[in-house]
Amino acid sequence: MENIRIVLPEIENIHEIETYISNGGFKAAKKAFSQTPGEIIDQVKKSGLRGRGGAAFSAGLKWSFMPKSTDKPKYLCVNGDESEPGSFKDREVFEKNPHQLIEGTLITCYAIGAKTAYIYIRGEYHKWIKLMQKALDDAYAKGFVGEKMKETFGTDFYCDIYIHKGAGAYICGEESSLMNSIEGKRGYPRVKPPFPAQNGLWGNPTTINNVETIANVPKIIENGWEWYANIGVQKHPGTILYGISGHVNKPGVYELPTGILLTELIFDVAGGVPGNKKIKMVIPGGSSMPPLRGDQLEGVRMDAESLKEAGSAIGTAGVMVMDEDTDILKVLARITKFYYHESCGQCTPCREGTGWMLKTLNRMIEGNATSRDLDLLIEVANNIEGNTICALGDAAAWPVKFTIQRFRDELEQYVKPEVELPIYNKVHSMRETTVPLGVNKR
Amino acid sequence: MPKLTINGREIDFKQGQTVIEAAKDNGIEIPHYCWHPSLSVSGNCRVCLVELEKMPKLVIACSTLAAEGMVVHTQSEKTLQARNAVMEFLLINHPLDCPICDEAGECKLQEYAFDHGYGESRFDEMKNRKEKRVALGPRIMFDGDRCISCSRCIRFSDEIAKATQLTFVQRGDRVTIKTFPGEEFDNPYTLNTVDICPVGALTSRDFRFKARVWDMSETKTICPGCSRGCNIEMWVRNNEILRLTPRENLEVNEYWMCDWGRLNTFKFVNARNRIDGALIRENEVITKVSVEEGISKTAQAIQKYKASQIAFLGSAFATCEDNFSLAKFAKESFSANNIDFIRYVDETNQDDILIKPDKTPNTLGAKSTGIKPGNSGLNIHEIFSEIKKGNIKALFVMEDNPAAISDDYKNALKKLELLIVLSVNENETTELADIVLPAAAYAEKNGTFINFEGRLQRIRPAVVTQNMERSLDGMSMSRLDKFGTKYDSWASGHRVDAQPSWKLISMLSQKLGGKINYQTAEDVFDDLVKSNKEFSGLDYDIIGEKGTQLDSFIKVKETV
Repeated sequence: MENIRIVLPEIENIHEIETYISNGGFKAAKKAFSQTPGEIIDQVKKSGLRGRGGAAFSAGLKWSFMPKSTDKPKYLCVNGDESEPGSFKDREVFEKNPHQLIEGTLITCYAIGAKTAYIYIRGEYHKWIKLMQKALDDAYAKGFVGEKMKETFGTDFYCDIYIHKGAGAYICGEESSLMNSIEGKRGYPRVKPPFPAQNGLWGNPTTINNVETIANVPKIIENGWEWYANIGVQKHPGTILYGISGHVNKPGVYELPTGILLTELIFDVAGGVPGNKKIKMVIPGGSSMPPLRGDQLEGVRMDAESLKEAGSAIGTAGVMVMDEDTDILKVLARITKFYYHESCGQCTPCREGTGWMLKTLNRMIEGNATSRDLDLLIEVANNIEGNTICALGDAAAWPVKFTIQRFRDELEQYVKPEVELPIYNKVHSMRETTVPLGVNKR
Repeated sequence: MPKLTINGREIDFKQGQTVIEAAKDNGIEIPHYCWHPSLSVSGNCRVCLVELEKMPKLVIACSTLAAEGMVVHTQSEKTLQARNAVMEFLLINHPLDCPICDEAGECKLQEYAFDHGYGESRFDEMKNRKEKRVALGPRIMFDGDRCISCSRCIRFSDEIAKATQLTFVQRGDRVTIKTFPGEEFDNPYTLNTVDICPVGALTSRDFRFKARVWDMSETKTICPGCSRGCNIEMWVRNNEILRLTPRENLEVNEYWMCDWGRLNTFKFVNARNRIDGALIRENEVITKVSVEEGISKTAQAIQKYKASQIAFLGSAFATCEDNFSLAKFAKESFSANNIDFIRYVDETNQDDILIKPDKTPNTLGAKSTGIKPGNSGLNIHEIFSEIKKGNIKALFVMEDNPAAISDDYKNALKKLELLIVLSVNENETTELADIVLPAAAYAEKNGTFINFEGRLQRIRPAVVTQNMERSLDGMSMSRLDKFGTKYDSWASGHRVDAQPSWKLISMLSQKLGGKINYQTAEDVFDDLVKSNKEFSGLDYDIIGEKGTQLDSFIKVKETV
């Protein structure tokens, strides 16, 4: 395994601005400013860099959606809300390599024509907000950010960067809620279209990228897109900050190329399962992604396409490993409780459905459920999925739906077989319904 | 025009319209809760999810722009599945307290549950509980359990009433509506949120628990609270007005009316101080007599006065028909020139939304039907100063209360030899009158008002007086009107012995040997049309339910 580090280099004190500069820091920005914004976007497009926030969408393509000729101000939001359970990689960037994030932000602003960037960091990251703010202050002091940039880099372009603290809502990691949050509004996702590139912050063109995505940009400019495109797998190149947690001997964040085998990640990188126990379940991309059974892991590679094929998704590459002693029902109830707690309550299916699923799962834990409830849970999950304003609905539905589908045998042990109720206990419908009741057809 | 297809039917749409708007314009209703034609799109209820061909996911019709060649399915299996699902989600935590809910009968949740719901519950859990009976403001009561968080009330307050007072608090299924800290929900338009609330979460503190909606009749009429002339529905049960609600008229009031108009323009009709039969004062003893006798006494008392000794007050509260009859009567029987009416203008009480400074519904109507001083006739101020001087000896007041204007006016009235008042309620002026004739209220007669920008609009009777019959007089009927028996309390409600002012004047004219002889308000209006070219070509049918702009006032409309 080649030892390529892009986002988290093994250089001592790289988080300090002097060290960062002496290791070639801000040279990529200078290089970028000598080219046209179109050329930068083109290189990032060709590099194949895909978003690290969960959707794995082409970063260069996203940037190219920004209108070229407009009188409106444009904005960049760097998404460091990092609230997905199992995800803790952006924190490492704030702590270990903040200046590369700042440099990436400058280059991205230049590429999309933004004069202002917001780095949105979740409020619970109190320590990392302070670290990031210090780094930003240092960069300002050295003239790498703000109006002084013109002198430092000898260019007409300059931009300002602000750190914006979240106030404790998972939903504000969703890009349109994040913008509402920056605007000082309630963290409600916006109805799309219009998309942020047309109508974002205060109605102006806006691009939102994940912290890790932006942190990759300076190295792409510095070493060229061909260099980047050849790291890892072709369709999803580069390195990923894998955050491994749960029942492994060495949990943590590891930067490795894409396409590494999931088993290699768990057993070689993270040191295997304590006590050499069997693995019951792995959630490969943060808690909202479909879980894989222990016997589904062989041959699965950690990149967007391979995981899709395996029946899950890369998400934020927050790998959660659970051994054979894990109570799947309790895991599922806990994950569901999270999405219930974090549902913003704006649109009906997610607002009502997350609570319904949680109540049913809790009843199952108490031993008062029947096997019919397992089917019902899948139907409720299906009724949420795809019918909501934002992806939180899907995020809440997938764990329930796929955990029940993939761990049905085990969950059946928690429920009673369905009993026929006495007729007087049944609720009778007064009329024919438009769609017959029964198993959801999806 | 661009076209799209909904359920196999090709329809035209205007560029920029959403699917739900295009469908609505073509008479196809796509179910919705949060969408409202004059509010911003929030897209939160998800009931309007529809299937678009070539789109993998369902889309919401309220925010999806219609496009040429788009193919929409609102009844496909996928659409119905999603709609049923959303209905089920909305109902799981709903208290289902329809039997005690004011909204029942006009509740969108009830209607869609019937049309699109599963029809039975699969929800075995405990329902969520939220705050109930929360007084959000002086006129609004909130029930958190019933709320479906559609945000219509919040958007209405922000966007229409321009009063940011309401907000969502909490998250997920704990979301509920509150006023901002230190705020009360007390803007002048709060009761509109009761109308647009698709469920019974917001109720009117004035109307709640008064009646089931299906027990009331609804009549299309006009609010007389100011010169805006908001189009309204008047809701009546047991011959008693219970509430007013705004009626859509994009030219006048869109979908709204102010709280003041809604609460204060009907209670005097139900009030106990109605003039019920004629009142005659002889030797300081007041006797109640029949309307016929009251008319005879009036004729006897009034006929001896010459044009210079008598004055007539029309009224901007009365209809064009009443005012036209009065002006005609004054000229024909007395050749009177001293004729005018009192203005009620409060410049301090107006806004850019609906409320106008002129607090009467028919100032332009009174003016254009001849309520103005004739040749060298006296205007309103001169009439009162001449009364004080003793030159004017008799005053005929129609539907107004000059004694309440000032002590000066009141003292002047005391000097009169003869004061005849046509009035709906007892008031300061009727106390001084020699003869009081019972005028029917605006809720008891046909007629027309002209609003501040020259729009002629019809009022219709919703309450019956002694000489009317709901079924015979073409009035709107409630369920009990149609199916109740005479033994119901319904049929035994009190009926006031009153007549429209035009009718009283017509009767008086007959007694004095005049030519005025109207049988219906429409007769009066037709006569008005013949004699005044501002109204030419019009009749009650042409005015219709939403009124008509009078050409002669188009300039007025442009300047206001």
